[in-house]
Amino acid sequence: MSNALELIGIRKSFDGFAALTDAHFAARWGEVHALLGENGAGKSSLMNIAAGLYAPEAGQLLVDDNVVRFAGPADSARHRIGMVHQHFKLVRPFTVAENILLTAPAPAEFQSHGERLREISRDIRNKASELGFEIDPAKRIDALSIAEQQRVEILKVLLAGARILILDEPTAVLTDQEAARLLQTVRSLARAGSAVVLVTHKMADVKTYADRVTVMRGGRTVATLEPGATPVAELVKLTVGESIATQGFQAAKSARGPVRLTVRGLRSAASAQGRRVLDGVELQLHAGEIYGLAGVGGNGQGELAGAIMGLPDAGGALEGEIHLEGHGDLKAMGAPERRNVGIAAIPADRYGLALAGSLSVAENYAIGRVHTGRYGPAWHLRRGRIQDDTREAVRAFDVQGVRSVAQKAALLSGGNAQKLVLAREFGKSPSLVLAHSPSRGLDVRASAEVHARLRAARDSGAAVLLISEDLDEVLQLADRVGVMTRGRIAGEFAQPADRQAIGQAMVDHG
Amino acid sequence: MSSAIALNWLASTPDFAVPYALAALGLIISERAGVLSLGAEGLMLVGALAGIGAQLALGQPAVSLVLAMLAASAVSLLFAVMVIWLRVNQVIAGLALVFFCQGLTALVGSLAEWTNHATEGIGGMALWPLSLLPGVGRLFEQNAMVWLTLPIFIAVAWFFSRTSAGLRLRAVGENPQAADAAGIRVAMWRLAAVLAGSALVGLAGAYISVVSTKLWIAGMTGGRGWIAVGLVIFARWSPWKALVGALLFGCIEALIPQLAAAGVQLPQYFVMMTPYAVTLGVMVWVALARRGGDDEPGALGQPYVREERR
Amino acid sequence: MADASLAAIAEPAKTDADAARRVRRQPLAGRRYALEIRQHMGWRRQALILAAALLVGLAISAAILVAAGVPADELANEFVMQTFLDGQNFRAVLFQAAPMILVGLAGSLAFRARFWNLGLEGQMIWGAIGATAVSMWQIGPETLRLPLMFAAAIGCGLLWVLGPAWLKIRLGVNEIISTLMLNYMAANFLLHLVYGGWKDPKDNFPYSPQFRAFERLPELGAGVSSAIVLAAMVALFAWWLVGVSRAGLYLRFVDANPRVAHANGVPVRRTIYGAVLLSGAMAGLAGFAVASGQEGRLTQAFYQGYGFSGILIAFLARNNPLAATVVALLVAALFVTGRSLQVFYQVPFSMVQLIQAIIVVCVASSDFFIRHRLRRVGGEAAQ
Repeated sequence: MSNALELIGIRKSFDGFAALTDAHFAARWGEVHALLGENGAGKSSLMNIAAGLYAPEAGQLLVDDNVVRFAGPADSARHRIGMVHQHFKLVRPFTVAENILLTAPAPAEFQSHGERLREISRDIRNKASELGFEIDPAKRIDALSIAEQQRVEILKVLLAGARILILDEPTAVLTDQEAARLLQTVRSLARAGSAVVLVTHKMADVKTYADRVTVMRGGRTVATLEPGATPVAELVKLTVGESIATQGFQAAKSARGPVRLTVRGLRSAASAQGRRVLDGVELQLHAGEIYGLAGVGGNGQGELAGAIMGLPDAGGALEGEIHLEGHGDLKAMGAPERRNVGIAAIPADRYGLALAGSLSVAENYAIGRVHTGRYGPAWHLRRGRIQDDTREAVRAFDVQGVRSVAQKAALLSGGNAQKLVLAREFGKSPSLVLAHSPSRGLDVRASAEVHARLRAARDSGAAVLLISEDLDEVLQLADRVGVMTRGRIAGEFAQPADRQAIGQAMVDHG
Repeated sequence: MSSAIALNWLASTPDFAVPYALAALGLIISERAGVLSLGAEGLMLVGALAGIGAQLALGQPAVSLVLAMLAASAVSLLFAVMVIWLRVNQVIAGLALVFFCQGLTALVGSLAEWTNHATEGIGGMALWPLSLLPGVGRLFEQNAMVWLTLPIFIAVAWFFSRTSAGLRLRAVGENPQAADAAGIRVAMWRLAAVLAGSALVGLAGAYISVVSTKLWIAGMTGGRGWIAVGLVIFARWSPWKALVGALLFGCIEALIPQLAAAGVQLPQYFVMMTPYAVTLGVMVWVALARRGGDDEPGALGQPYVREERR
Repeated sequence: MADASLAAIAEPAKTDADAARRVRRQPLAGRRYALEIRQHMGWRRQALILAAALLVGLAISAAILVAAGVPADELANEFVMQTFLDGQNFRAVLFQAAPMILVGLAGSLAFRARFWNLGLEGQMIWGAIGATAVSMWQIGPETLRLPLMFAAAIGCGLLWVLGPAWLKIRLGVNEIISTLMLNYMAANFLLHLVYGGWKDPKDNFPYSPQFRAFERLPELGAGVSSAIVLAAMVALFAWWLVGVSRAGLYLRFVDANPRVAHANGVPVRRTIYGAVLLSGAMAGLAGFAVASGQEGRLTQAFYQGYGFSGILIAFLARNNPLAATVVALLVAALFVTGRSLQVFYQVPFSMVQLIQAIIVVCVASSDFFIRHRLRRVGGEAAQ
């Protein structure tokens, strides 16, 4: 059996950062080949090269055993390679048909735009039913769910003639059920002769659906194996490079304290279609506990976090109450006051909400406490003190890569940037911690450190609200688990929780 | 107001409306592709100067208008290179373009001694049989450019909504990453949009100098380019709404001389403030009326570079 | 936010970890080059690139001047020698520098709050109108007249920018358009005044009656106006605000990322209002400096050229107050040179505007080399 797609000895770096140092990969026709690795291992970069978006500095690319060189995505498409990216490349105000028309090959003879749209719509409907689902080609992309949008992406590459299908973290945004359906579909495509590459970091998917798996770590290929014959522990070891004792759930050392935060009937304004992003959230958070809020992204988690943090776009027309013990309704407080009452926030969007990348590490650290007067009166900012404090915090929280506290915060890697945020937020002994996807984009070691900090905060009496799409993270940390769907808390579970039941609650819209 | 004045007012409105309409349309073309063009005021001046210069040299209005369009496109090339390839902040580049054009046209105009030289305009065209109507028939006697504006609008609107090329251009403006991944050459389409849009903006300026006033004075566009930018926001990037807005502004501007003719005494300079005050009012009204659901091209104003995601 | 103004959208993303990994490929003459965003470039190299851009801009301008009829050898003489070494011309430069510094600072401060204050000319006009009103209506005793004019100028300039500021913050109205429209309206109002009720009855020219001696900014001796001292003090104030006070840190956060600023407890609205209103006040002060310091009355076209100059200064100085002061001096020199070129060689004054625009184009384009790096990519396949 020949190799459909092969990459040999690939090297690629970005502005001095070596993303790929010696990467190999080969996928055969008719197989589902998983590309496994942690965040930052280089999987997406490697596949982006295959898709023609990046050019390698060294190495070879072969399609069907012929050496090729791509000048752009069009070349890659011409060689029947189609990639479905993690962040969909769809034009939201356009319809399904219009989006697919953009990548469709030009017709042999002249056709009017209307004719082309009609023909494409026919093809879309046919292909969709072949794959076992329905889709309306005249619907706008922004009216579709995430899973439906993903199907559009797959249709797009198939209708463009792709026989080598690359899927980048396809199940990250899907529920367990939707993910199973998707992977079964791609498996049937493989059985029909196409080559399917599955880029993922989820072991379960690899074990269940992949015929072979290539493991990448730190920019190079580590091994190619058959997942059926390899135990999970071995796969984990290859992926992270060492055996990390997978932390199971650790119960709190002491019983939880009194209620600290009460959310009652939190409702956001209704959109034009009558939908509310937040639709009656009810929640009680105690001191000394970690409440883990699970759920697929896009169900209002971000808005809930924003409402607690006091962001301007989350405020406005919010009904209901967010009551912090001893301080009243948070909705009446602006963001500056909320910091004063001991709320620490670790937002999901690090460089969109927590850190200003173009400012220095010291400035990013100082902004947390500058209003307390610690760094001088309003008319004179004491920079020396800021620098000393920052250096101390960097040391205490093990933030790596800080040559000087005056360097730009954007130069920090994801894990270290997160540690800087923690240093700033936890330096004030908060009473309420809001952690939204705190280990997104972090490697295993950094994640473990973040988790340890959250546990420590809980043990010293803080109330911790953990919002995460990573069910494993929630199950490891939370004392209680809540499931958020459609803007409200659908169910609460005590630990040790039944994963199946939680997964079911995430899907049920009741 | 007597019916004669009212008729005069309505009959003169299209003449005032055409520059706004053409400039706004040109801006829409470029902004639909994602390029924020604040240089309209400058490009209109370039078109106005080039038009008069060509007219003084050749005496052929149609040729002069075409040359004016080419001149504006050529100058906009500088802007296009800056924002598309050199990734300069589009606001700074637009402002620089305006002042560059203001300085350049004033300089060339005075050096070539084109200032205040009257030329002949273009002929009128009556829209038969409507022009035969008693009284209102006068409304349908306009110069050729006024009538030409409508087909131009139809062509551009049709291009955007009914052609594959128009779809590609809109994709470039909404989501350049998606367009790039689809194999569309983002930079080329943006360049084409800027050049084409600037040609229309230049035509708008040339209309003012060659057709309306029939002479050149430095700075003669008097802020119309900026008003056109506001008009595009008001029109939510739709050509037809822009036409309506242009007619509105044409009405307002046409009213000013009619009021004087009617003997209405208003402080002269306050009257001259009206277009600017109305623009401001329109912007406020748009902001108040906006309720989510933007028609704004998704990637307007952002330079495009291929991105890697983490 | 659906109501984000055009200006906010038009800002390129400030450097962040994701932006650090942007790559684009361009086939360039058969070879493939990768375009990357640089993480960091030392300030020495930045200064070098900036200087190179300035030289290119000046060279192009010199070429145009020569084409317009100025003998090439005279150029160096005119610009450098005459402007800086001739005593009288140097005084003229200092004279011109005071309002330049003020509009440059005004621009810098507003831009630091991501507010495109293009209404500097309108605010100047109102500043001058305010000061003139105090003079015309003889408000206050003689000893207090000048301070009252000063206060009126600041107040009027501030008020004229309050509208656009409120409109942007509350309604998301694009401030580029709103401040520009107010410029045109202010200019017309000025004409209304000097051609109408405030016209000097003595000679019926379109300007106000002359200010009395105690209504003019005093001279410091050797013909240097105290306006420059005023400007220097404002520059120090701006430096303190931006570099020493806590508000400066808040402003830096608002400039870098308003959402991050808000989420971290920075009083964003207050900071923006503060910066923008101060900007208007400074521009109003510039109008006062021209009316009371230079012209000695309210004239019809005193403000022309300051608007873009303010933007240019702020842009070249990267919104830094001390750098803005230096750049303002250079722009003042450019203005003085422009006037003498006009007198001696009949080069129209719009040449100055053209030169300014050329310099902005060159410097803005050179930013490309500071922010990006071109690298050849994709060599022969390794066997």
